[in-house]
Amino acid sequence: MLKTFTEKLGKTTLRGVEELGYSLALLVESFYWLFFGFRRRQAIKLPSIFAQMMHIGIQALPIVAILAFAIGMMLAIQGIATLKTFGAESQVVLGIALSVTREFAPLIIGILVAGRSGSALAARIGTMQIAQEIDALRVIGISPVRYLMTPAMLAMLVMLPALTFFADLIALFGGGVYSSLELGMSLQAYADRTIEVLKIDDITQGLYKSLVFAVIITLVSFVNGFSVTAGAEGVGKATTRSVVLSITYIIIADMVFTFFLTH
Amino acid sequence: MTNQTDTQTNAAIEVDDLVTHYGTTRILNHVDMQVNTGEIMVIMGGSGSGKSTLLRYMLGLHQATSGSIKLLGHDITKISAQEMDDLRKNMGVSFQGGALFNSMTVGENVCLPLHEHTNLDENTIQIMGRMKLSVVNLGGFDDLMPAQLSGGMIKRAALARAIVMDPKLLFFDEPSAGLDPVAAAELDDLILRIRKALNTTIVVVTHDLDSTFRIADRITVLDKGKILMIGTVEEVRNSDNQRIQSLLNREARHVEINADEYLKELTGQKE
Amino acid sequence: MNKDSDSPVKFEIDDEHGYLVVRFEGEIDLYGTPHAREVILNCIKSERNTVIDLSAVSYIDSSGVASLVEGYQLAKNSNLEFGLVNISDAVLSVLQLAHLDKVFTIHASLDERIQAS
Repeated sequence: MLKTFTEKLGKTTLRGVEELGYSLALLVESFYWLFFGFRRRQAIKLPSIFAQMMHIGIQALPIVAILAFAIGMMLAIQGIATLKTFGAESQVVLGIALSVTREFAPLIIGILVAGRSGSALAARIGTMQIAQEIDALRVIGISPVRYLMTPAMLAMLVMLPALTFFADLIALFGGGVYSSLELGMSLQAYADRTIEVLKIDDITQGLYKSLVFAVIITLVSFVNGFSVTAGAEGVGKATTRSVVLSITYIIIADMVFTFFLTH
Repeated sequence: MTNQTDTQTNAAIEVDDLVTHYGTTRILNHVDMQVNTGEIMVIMGGSGSGKSTLLRYMLGLHQATSGSIKLLGHDITKISAQEMDDLRKNMGVSFQGGALFNSMTVGENVCLPLHEHTNLDENTIQIMGRMKLSVVNLGGFDDLMPAQLSGGMIKRAALARAIVMDPKLLFFDEPSAGLDPVAAAELDDLILRIRKALNTTIVVVTHDLDSTFRIADRITVLDKGKILMIGTVEEVRNSDNQRIQSLLNREARHVEINADEYLKELTGQKE
Repeated sequence: MNKDSDSPVKFEIDDEHGYLVVRFEGEIDLYGTPHAREVILNCIKSERNTVIDLSAVSYIDSSGVASLVEGYQLAKNSNLEFGLVNISDAVLSVLQLAHLDKVFTIHASLDERIQAS
């Protein structure tokens, strides 16, 4: 009993360490191709980056808008209700502005993209793996990392901050709509007050986080996709695993990030 | 490494004392094999014999534990990634399931190596792609998606992609797997035609005996990671070796049913 | 546009019996093809009947063959003649593989070509 437990623990730890090492190797390799690919006549192709950006970014706009608006409203509802007990409900603007830009917008975008695009990436790579398409790329002399991962990484690095900024605006607007209804302040006054309390740092803090999340989602998706071995079932497992792991890492990274940024 | 054409022998492929492991399990056990230029070598063996593994190592997809693999005079266990890339332009591979890229049309699949490796004019590339599709009797199919093709057509399209750069070495993994006898025979004919026209060195991994006897110049028989025998079709057929005979006979009667496996198949148990 | 100096393909163009006769020399492969293609297409763009002599070509790969196909198509569209002469067995088998021996007009020599027309 104890033996099997320690054995299992050992194996899990080993797998974790292996995956961490593999992730780092993939990270280095994907940037290697970005900067030095042209030297080996394997430059990154723009169309594949744009295709990824379309899927990760543009097509996510409607759902991002809905989520961000709802979160802005939710923060306003909670904030006003809580602050009412202190009679400080006018301070709700500060609360919304800071929590949206620093925390909620990057986090919700990270989770959304992990679920939407990270899973799609892991499934796509896993399917290609079992159909031997990854091997086919390699024997043709095309690095799968350069051909598949670097464009996705770039698209993530561009689109996550862009989506986060978009979510900032929508969520602030959502908060404003509720606050103006509840507190009777005009949207204009809400906007003025928001601009007054927000510092550039608050926004960039959220954007930096989203860059870290972009790397996490890409790495986790590709590590799991590349590791698929056993059939369609394996693809399903890898997809689920990559979403769960991505979200877990995102939330942990967010906590660590927030700790250091607030100290 | 320094002289590209090995003058001492006529070998396009030389596998020397190859040992490989999967995890801690030894898969290939001191394998020696040579394939001459322009020869069709069939690697045969039951499942678990290590024949697919040998192919994957010859393709440079894994790092060997020890030993060397020379392709066209280059030891792929030692060369740089850049040299390997260059060598790959002389290699074509037809995978078991075709491994066509599903997001691209058949034509784009076939032309991909040209787009990636050459600076040829787009017109030239398109004509080359269509020419190769015509070689495999798929002329006019370039705008279809792989999902619209039958199994035999996918294999032939994959072959067109494999030969689009006029490779000196051509590898096949189970070409007849999943094909009906007619489609399998067609593919065999294509393999023979390509060798005749281009003097390509061809390595075929298969468990299909009919196909083996149709196309092979020589046969390598693998068993449990070791080479049992390398010889011509006649030599292998007439071999006294019990293991080879049982392999030939067992596979020749492959319509016979293995009761246990059949039962598992019917009841839906996997492995 | 012309990069003759470092091109691995050598050629001569002669005006014989009303044909532009292009005699290529050496290997027409991935490196030589872009130049060979330009030479072929330029002959046809100059509105001349063209014959490609491959006697001194030791090897031609599919990219070279593709350029011949392109040249032939262009000639056809401009109602010009386009022929191949002095084809080695090796080259012929490459053409046969893609069923192109049935497409091109192929003659053993230039004389034979002239007699046939």
